[in-house]
Amino acid sequence: MRKITIDPITRLEGHGKIEIFLNDKGEVENTYFQVPELRGFEKFSEGRPAEELPQITQRICGVCPEAHHMASTKALDDLFHTDPPSPAKKLRELFYSAFYVTDHTTHFYILGGPDFVMGPDAPVAERNILGVIGKVGLELGGAVIKIRMQNHHIIHMLGGRAVHPVFGLPGGISKGLNEEEIKEVQQIAKDSVEFGKLSLKVFDDIVLKNKDYVDMIVSDAYTHRTYYMGLVDEKNRVNFYDGKVRVVDPEGKEFAKYAPKEYLDHVAEHVEPWSYVKFPFLKKVGWKGFVDGKDSGVFRVAPLARLNAADGMATPLAQEAYEKMYSTLGGKPVHHTLAMHWARLIELLYAAERLEELSQDPEITSTNIRTIPTAVPDEGVGIVEAPRGTLTHHYVTDERGVIKKANLIVATVNNAAAVNMSINKAARELIKPGKEITEGLLNRIEMAWRPYDLCLACATHNLPGHPLLPMEVYDSKGKLIKRYS
Amino acid sequence: MKTLVLGLGNPILTDDSVGFRVIQELRARFSRPGLTLMESSASGLTLLDLIAGYDKVIFVDAIQTEGGQAGTIYRLGTEDLGDTRHLASSHGIDLVTALELGKRLEIALPQEIIIFAIEVADVNTFSEGCTPEVEKAIPLAVGMVAEELGGN
Repeated sequence: MRKITIDPITRLEGHGKIEIFLNDKGEVENTYFQVPELRGFEKFSEGRPAEELPQITQRICGVCPEAHHMASTKALDDLFHTDPPSPAKKLRELFYSAFYVTDHTTHFYILGGPDFVMGPDAPVAERNILGVIGKVGLELGGAVIKIRMQNHHIIHMLGGRAVHPVFGLPGGISKGLNEEEIKEVQQIAKDSVEFGKLSLKVFDDIVLKNKDYVDMIVSDAYTHRTYYMGLVDEKNRVNFYDGKVRVVDPEGKEFAKYAPKEYLDHVAEHVEPWSYVKFPFLKKVGWKGFVDGKDSGVFRVAPLARLNAADGMATPLAQEAYEKMYSTLGGKPVHHTLAMHWARLIELLYAAERLEELSQDPEITSTNIRTIPTAVPDEGVGIVEAPRGTLTHHYVTDERGVIKKANLIVATVNNAAAVNMSINKAARELIKPGKEITEGLLNRIEMAWRPYDLCLACATHNLPGHPLLPMEVYDSKGKLIKRYS
Repeated sequence: MKTLVLGLGNPILTDDSVGFRVIQELRARFSRPGLTLMESSASGLTLLDLIAGYDKVIFVDAIQTEGGQAGTIYRLGTEDLGDTRHLASSHGIDLVTALELGKRLEIALPQEIIIFAIEVADVNTFSEGCTPEVEKAIPLAVGMVAEELGGN
């Protein structure tokens, strides 16, 4: 049996390993998507005051700390049985929208986008932001940097620093925005909306007008018919900060809709001996293995899933873009994994529009930003949509609010089963007996998971700092025949 | 001359906190105009935002190399990172690519970049202290940075 290993996986957060096993005929026998071990996070939080968790959990990841911070803060609201005042909720959502602009921008232009912009056969050295700028121009590169910096500035204004902000409290937030600051936010929001529109145009020009790319998007190799999950507001529109969790089946019909507290009734985790990542699945459908379809409990999260699970977007330009995507790809739900890149840009535009909306809200400069908790804490669940998917924080404390138990289901983990399936399918379609395994071919396999915008740091409650593992291809005698890095 | 000493890492991930620890020690010893001491968990493109506008940047970070001994301290320049340009960065964009990007976009980048990288043992366990060999390296690293700064 031949073993092909793709290690390190390039352009994502954290690190992992893909191992592809070939049989003697040279066909794909099986694939395993592996992530390294998490060690001791739950234990680390035991005995700590729950109010520290928004600071502690955001340290899990240097790329999406705001997501953990927000989920943790909402878990504290629930834990202490307090409801924040309306201005606090709006400011939290404003903060969160700015974060989404930075994060989705980073993914499209730096992590996932380069494949499309440069093409999967471009040399490794060009399949990154430098290649993208070479193709689309320096001005756009400058815009990417500027938009990120400006939105980090908003996060800094509210949270005290750009990475690992201090902001959420049970029942509210620590700081609001004054008249001067909100004017800055309003301008940044306007620029962000323009940038969102521009990014969709870039996608249109470079991807949608290129027949080969479109063929790739709709090809069966990158398609899975799964359930989809995302947070929605009371009108079933995508909301990143708050709402109910909605799940639709592979035909797009609502399958479940539940409040955060009920998540354990709906989601369970399956364990495989070869992976440290646990595989969440829908309890009411059951675990049937790494397979598609209505009878399999595998579900997906993150941009495409969110758009599939909702009935629309809450802002006008994003709604227009949403309708265009579905009409182009043949209706809802869209099962083509590569369309996640498109959905991500629609969400980028929505985040910018929402930022603009909230920055104009009459309540947004209010100083009524905290409801002091008075109830005895016991247990709380907070769910937000992290850019990479539905993120759940669940805390159990004693009556003093000291953590007894902390359970996190992080965004990327919800997609773990689907990622494995996507790699498996792409590998099977692309690796054929007698066909040379080129770098471009292996990159096309990697393109199967990049749309998921994986954050393996979160998935393993780990953070990159490890040396990346090499990718190696072995023949059936265990001899190294190819290295991919 | 504006100098930034930037400690990178994760303060709750055992040896990955070493960069922060060195900065904390330096802060107790150094204070002078034109010198900024900073800790950050940022990486990639965000690093570019942090270092823009300084004449000299000294990074302090954890490193793991094949066969490396925990506690060893390397003094590196960006030319030593040349090979990583084509390697994947787990942070999404490696330092060398970020610097190249900054150059092309004509961002005011430091003319001098030094990296003090400390070989570490454990970056996989949640805890707030470093492993013994790495703890021992902290004062040594502080001394090396101090010397680099032309300090006491």
